[in-house]
Amino acid sequence: MSAPQVRGALARLRDLGRRLRERRAADVHAALADVLDAWCAPASPWQSALADALPAVSGYSVEMVREGLARGLAPYTGSALHALVRDELGGPERQDAMRGPRVDGFACAATVLAGAIPLPAIVAISAPLALRTPVLVKPSMHDPVSAALFARSLAARDPLLGACVEIATFHRDDAESLAALCEAECVVANGSDAAVAAIGRCFEVSRAYAAAAPRRFVGYGHRFSLAMLGSDATRGGALARAAAALARDVALWDQLGCLSPLAVYVVGADRGAAGRVAEALAGALAAAEERWPRGRIEPTVAAAIARERAEAEMRDATVLAARGTEWSIVCEADAQRRGAPLHRFVRVLPSASVTTCLAALRPQGGQLAAVALAGFGADASEIGAALAEMGASRVCTPGAMQSPPLGWPRDNLRVLLPLARFGDLECE
Amino acid sequence: MSADPRRASLDARTLAWLRESPQSWRCDEARFASLALDLFAFQFQHCAPYRRFCERRGRMPERVAQWREIPAVPAGAFKEMALRSFPAECEAHVFRTSGTSGERRGALRLDTLELYEASLLAAFLRGVLPDLAPGERARIRVLAPSPREAPDSSLSHMFGVVLRELGDTASGFDVQAGALQVDGLVAALEKATADGVAVALCGTAFAFVHLLDAFAERGARIPLPPASRVMETGGFKGRAREMSRDALYQGIGHALAVAPERIVNQYGMTELGSQFYDSVLGDPGRARRKLAPPWTRVRLVDPETTGGDARPGAAGVVTIFDLANTGSVLAIQTADLGRAIEDGFEVIGREPGAEARGCSIAADEMLAR
Repeated sequence: MSAPQVRGALARLRDLGRRLRERRAADVHAALADVLDAWCAPASPWQSALADALPAVSGYSVEMVREGLARGLAPYTGSALHALVRDELGGPERQDAMRGPRVDGFACAATVLAGAIPLPAIVAISAPLALRTPVLVKPSMHDPVSAALFARSLAARDPLLGACVEIATFHRDDAESLAALCEAECVVANGSDAAVAAIGRCFEVSRAYAAAAPRRFVGYGHRFSLAMLGSDATRGGALARAAAALARDVALWDQLGCLSPLAVYVVGADRGAAGRVAEALAGALAAAEERWPRGRIEPTVAAAIARERAEAEMRDATVLAARGTEWSIVCEADAQRRGAPLHRFVRVLPSASVTTCLAALRPQGGQLAAVALAGFGADASEIGAALAEMGASRVCTPGAMQSPPLGWPRDNLRVLLPLARFGDLECE
Repeated sequence: MSADPRRASLDARTLAWLRESPQSWRCDEARFASLALDLFAFQFQHCAPYRRFCERRGRMPERVAQWREIPAVPAGAFKEMALRSFPAECEAHVFRTSGTSGERRGALRLDTLELYEASLLAAFLRGVLPDLAPGERARIRVLAPSPREAPDSSLSHMFGVVLRELGDTASGFDVQAGALQVDGLVAALEKATADGVAVALCGTAFAFVHLLDAFAERGARIPLPPASRVMETGGFKGRAREMSRDALYQGIGHALAVAPERIVNQYGMTELGSQFYDSVLGDPGRARRKLAPPWTRVRLVDPETTGGDARPGAAGVVTIFDLANTGSVLAIQTADLGRAIEDGFEVIGREPGAEARGCSIAADEMLAR
């Protein structure tokens, strides 16, 4: 899509937005809720269509995509959307209010997606629409299908809602088209810190000559997740359950998502605990590979995995791994930070106590997404609060990492609030 | 020379090879195999971390019959441990990898510079100055800090040795206090041009980007004499600006009138005693490829298998066996991918700014914070 075509799409969407805002917000939410319910249903044809299309373009295995979609979409229900609107906006009536508190969206939004995890695309489209803001979506080169398919499902339920989503395809280095996209009143950017910052600069430049309408930029950077196991989760059945659950968290989306755990900290346990956790996790990852095979990887990734394994061997760490590069576990002797090649590569790190573990994590707190906790008994709440204070936007149990609620405050931001404008109509 | 007679013998055998004329390089498989296996046995005995690594893989000297089976140490291990095959008290020189503040740096520890210098000179002569007559000196300008400014930089040391052994009196360094000395360089290049003296302009790729920026700012262009050449090395990791190699060569061609076929890329790393140069000057008229000095071997290892060769034409991990590494470990698994081209290889770089497939923070990115 060229820059003039992007501007044309934004103009069309602004026109459609005026029509969308003539509707009651509750009606828009009802249509959106129906679509979400259609997607999260166990036999959803939309889920099935995405599971058929995504592997070819992303490199994922079909089995993994099916499992990832089933688990990831389960919380994305229509009722979850209604709850989100009530929770964050105070209810749909505020969007139609003529007196008192009032919530509006923007004339038009543009969203730049990143990576090949499809679930953020669904939230990225649903959120502005819930505020009656049409949206221009630029998909990632690694996932050109999810946003388009979700737009089709919207059109099938409600043609106007479907028309309020347009897909902008242009190369990420096309500065002119990006500049045109950044003329949208609200721009949401996903990606690495550098990519988000570049889009933010582009938005600032466009602000200088764009119309005097209210404008906003929202950026979501890359994050990482991890797990912490207390001594109660390092033996017997509790360990087996935690390992199986964590293996699924690692396997889904091939550990590429910001909710995928890169490391498992074994905290305050006995000397052999880290080794037991590594062994159990190795068995669970091998089983996960059988059920949800890892997708194809680039030679650079395979090389990085081989290199990390060899470096671990050199420092005498225990390496448990598949014969190929399908999965790897390195049981380290210390909790020092080391590289994470992703694609199902997990480090198991011993930590003497919760205090030392939290201290080790603190320098990275700003990049933390989720932490899975198990085996801490009554201390879990206190640890969770400390992690949240540090920057984690989600603390959950192993196995739940890839099923965030619709209202998960990714990057510590609410879902709808960053896209909303609040006013107070005090006139009689 | 080492006090250990076994090591001294290994060094002497290797040095003899390094000092043979670069014009008569030939691949002597038996000589390489014999030296490599002897050196492996020596390093297995004297470098404890390497011995443990080999034992984990069941590759003890008595079970290794071919040099290809010698276990290769990942280059990253040089950041974590001292890999030396001599007593610590004999350490005479340490070269360190570049790195940002707070990041651990790899270290090549040496008890002698004799082999290191003999190897670098032979490879430089063959790759950059193959037409230099014996006893003749060349005009060499270097876009890198001098060894005095960067005593632990193997690259600066290399350039220092090259200038000392091969440079004429007007040769010198053009980076001081971390900055390219543009005025001095321009004056030196203009003088060489006026005198009709060909220049070998050498430096890091990023220094050349600075040079091109400075020339663009001034609107400067200095067409160097026809026999001039450029040698560039290194990538752009950690730099604020990246440039493709094609764009860099195009810029050099415009600013200095040096054609791509006279621009040599050097592939080297601190952990290695030897360097690998593009063939464009040493073996012109054939495909551009990196040529390995005869005392080295390069294997391209399939990263998906445990140690097998990459299929012909497919990318493999560049794994180097370098006899000049007598004081450390001779087999190094680099972090780079390469592809075989005829009797040489090319290093496959990652596309600058390649888009991530996920939204998780990957290896280097997280560690660089």
